[in-house]
Amino acid sequence: MKKTLSASSLLLSAFALVSALACAPSARAQAADAHLGAQAYAKHCAVCHGEQRQGNLPGFPPLLDINRQLKPEQITMLIRHGRGRMPAFPNLPEAEVSELLRFLATDPMSTPASASGASSNLADAGSHLFQRNCAFCHGRDAGGGETGPDLTRSKLALADVGGDKIGEVVRNGRPEKKMPAFNFNSEEIRSLAAFIHSQQKKASSRPGGRRGVDVSDLQTGNVEAGKAYFNGAGGCAKCHSPTGDLAGVASRYEGLQLERRMLYPEDTVSKVEVTLASGQKIAGTLAYRDEWVLGMRDTEGIYHSWPVRSIHFTVDSPVDAHVELFSKYTDDDIHNLMAYIQTLK
Amino acid sequence: MRSKITMKLLRQIAYIAASAMLPVLAAPMHAQNLTPDAILHPTPDSWPSYHGDYSGRRHSKLTQITPKNVNELGLSWAFQTGQTASIKASPLLVDGIIYFTVPDNIWAVDARSGHMLWHYNKPTEDGDHIGQRGVAMYKGWLYFLTPNGHLLSLDAKNGHVRWDVQVSDVSKGYWTTMCPLVVKDHVIVGVSGDMDNLQGYLMSVDPETGKTQWRWDATPPAGTPNATTGGMTWITGTYDPDLNLLYWGTGNPTPVLTGKTRPGDNLYTCSIVALDVDTGKLSWGFSVSPHDTHDWDAVEPPVLVDGQFHGQPKKMLMQASRNGYFFVIDRTNGKSLLTVPYGPTNWTTGIDKDGHPIPNVDKEPTPDGRFIAPDEGGMTNFRSPSFDPKTGLFIVDAHPSYSIYFAKPADGYYGWAGADYGLWGKGVLEAIDYQTGKIRWSHDLGPGGSNAGVLSTDSGVTFTGDAHGNLLALATADGKTLWHVGTGSSMNSSPITYELDGRQYVLTSSGGVMFAWALPESMAKR
Repeated sequence: MKKTLSASSLLLSAFALVSALACAPSARAQAADAHLGAQAYAKHCAVCHGEQRQGNLPGFPPLLDINRQLKPEQITMLIRHGRGRMPAFPNLPEAEVSELLRFLATDPMSTPASASGASSNLADAGSHLFQRNCAFCHGRDAGGGETGPDLTRSKLALADVGGDKIGEVVRNGRPEKKMPAFNFNSEEIRSLAAFIHSQQKKASSRPGGRRGVDVSDLQTGNVEAGKAYFNGAGGCAKCHSPTGDLAGVASRYEGLQLERRMLYPEDTVSKVEVTLASGQKIAGTLAYRDEWVLGMRDTEGIYHSWPVRSIHFTVDSPVDAHVELFSKYTDDDIHNLMAYIQTLK
Repeated sequence: MRSKITMKLLRQIAYIAASAMLPVLAAPMHAQNLTPDAILHPTPDSWPSYHGDYSGRRHSKLTQITPKNVNELGLSWAFQTGQTASIKASPLLVDGIIYFTVPDNIWAVDARSGHMLWHYNKPTEDGDHIGQRGVAMYKGWLYFLTPNGHLLSLDAKNGHVRWDVQVSDVSKGYWTTMCPLVVKDHVIVGVSGDMDNLQGYLMSVDPETGKTQWRWDATPPAGTPNATTGGMTWITGTYDPDLNLLYWGTGNPTPVLTGKTRPGDNLYTCSIVALDVDTGKLSWGFSVSPHDTHDWDAVEPPVLVDGQFHGQPKKMLMQASRNGYFFVIDRTNGKSLLTVPYGPTNWTTGIDKDGHPIPNVDKEPTPDGRFIAPDEGGMTNFRSPSFDPKTGLFIVDAHPSYSIYFAKPADGYYGWAGADYGLWGKGVLEAIDYQTGKIRWSHDLGPGGSNAGVLSTDSGVTFTGDAHGNLLALATADGKTLWHVGTGSSMNSSPITYELDGRQYVLTSSGGVMFAWALPESMAKR
């Protein structure tokens, strides 16, 4: 039963993605036609799918925007034959089915019966999930909080459509950043994404007083002082060059993202060279290391691991130089360095 | 003469026979009667409160598992919750039954076999489901807090709810995660919630009726001008029966990352307080992070130790705090004995004469950012440390780390009110000499850091977990690894130990699985 349901919700999401541009009749005409349909909906559908078509997750999907996901013939098939735990309504009069179809095609924003709005209903369902599971780290308004980033500014979240990108992160987690994975179904992911998108809209519509870190906030340093630090006390020039690896870095990244990369580029790979008992040497990138096991990916991308006591190995971890600077930085050093790095366009 | 001896002998035999029968008769009664005295004096076959005893030392007298034989340790059983939620609870063990939790769920499991006796599972819609830290017990009743701010009393036999009282208002922004503490006929309950400007408090509830006995407020009511809110009480404290004082850590002030609307030290946020357990009256308070602007709750277990301090016998309280400082305090009067950092910190201008760190105003969050050590997760957090009396070592899972903190007027003065970003951190188990604060040994736990708590035993073994999900047994004397096993996920709780049927068990969780470790039965009997 559960399998059928999640398969069907996956299908629904897929439809949502491919047919996002369905036309609807004018709002006023909808409202007039929808009256009979609304009654039919209240009688047959609302008990499971909610009075406002908001659904009741995880078992019962929302029907808001269902006309954007399914064609009228498909909805009719569903009503007539049922699916999963949804019962069939083979004896519903033809006229009532078409009223129902018309009602389902209306935008609830324009009907007084559901003044709170369609996407906001999906977002409301998502809000509940978000408050329970995500708000502690990402803030209740998704604007960032304890350890979790501001999702209203997240590039990934901004590029997300209907949960396609957010869902991937939520389901897999980000173990390297301590974000746990959550076992949400597709409808739940859609509702979460709807909530996050509604928060993005809210955040961007706040004139002037935008929360969080703007590029303009990070302009307090002195370029010359930063350049001197880069070439002198900071020791940056030992590994980096403004015309080499850092050429154009400020065009590729900006603002907070650039500053965080400047302080600790966490995706930097460490090289490792392993000498086996046989004397054979293998070089690659460090993939895992604890007290007992060393893992590496060789130049072909193939993973190898050994008990550390059976091999000799050397690790070259250039990012360690960034860690060594931590105990030496002043805030001015950081702001000046940031001013200089921002000139490397 | 002879008959007298015979009579005496007979009387003795009768007495012995009678006393031998007593436990048999008393056993069924005992099974549903965890008395306050049994919590005060825990037997080796029990772990009847969050920390195992009232001291918070997480040190066991058990010695069957030793540095020499710990490499023989094997899995006795594993219990799978089947949940994605990670176990953050410290298990409770009473009369051979283990109780542990994740939000909205309690399991009762046979400590010998790991099979489930019952499962309480009631989803709640509201409140933060960030974690659940375990149940408390009084007589035959369990006490459990729900994400939506309710305290439930359940029948330990079957998990049926006896009563349900609201202890905090979820609609205002409170939630509850902590494990209550039973002292005499008090159930001590703390609250969470720093996404709103809310008053933090601690309360005592009648174990039979659920009625509030007293409430201590950490801060003035919300809306008081120029005053702080906050000071949540979300980790179980400790208790000194001789002084009749409860010791409790309080959380950060609100708004969190800006201090503009709350001048001064913001008492009693980020503090350790001593309260009369019968009345809730404050005996003393000690500000651990005056005027905090970095979310460094001082809720970490206040560990109680009696011993010598620089040649003087002292009743001490020790805390390795989230702000990166290790504190030793005279717990009779709240006077500082030692304040010293146990990892990189850069947010103070020094320590004042009373042992309080002096916050550097230049390290308060700004629009262009301030570089701060440690990060917001702190040098340590909810995970428990251990105190080993033989070596005098305070052993803590530390987290050296750096971050950047931002706040600007547009962030407002409500709730979080700023933004902060961790840059780098690692896990290090540190053994701190409590008399000097010097780190006698440290043991790397891996990149990012570990969330594992610490347990030490009288035989000189220390248990914890690393950042990769390995369970570790280390020598308490020097921190060298004695044994390890990969458990598939990191430990987000603190280990416990107990002895049943002559066999010592160590209980650890990883992700949603509870593991019981023991020596092979053949060795245990030797």
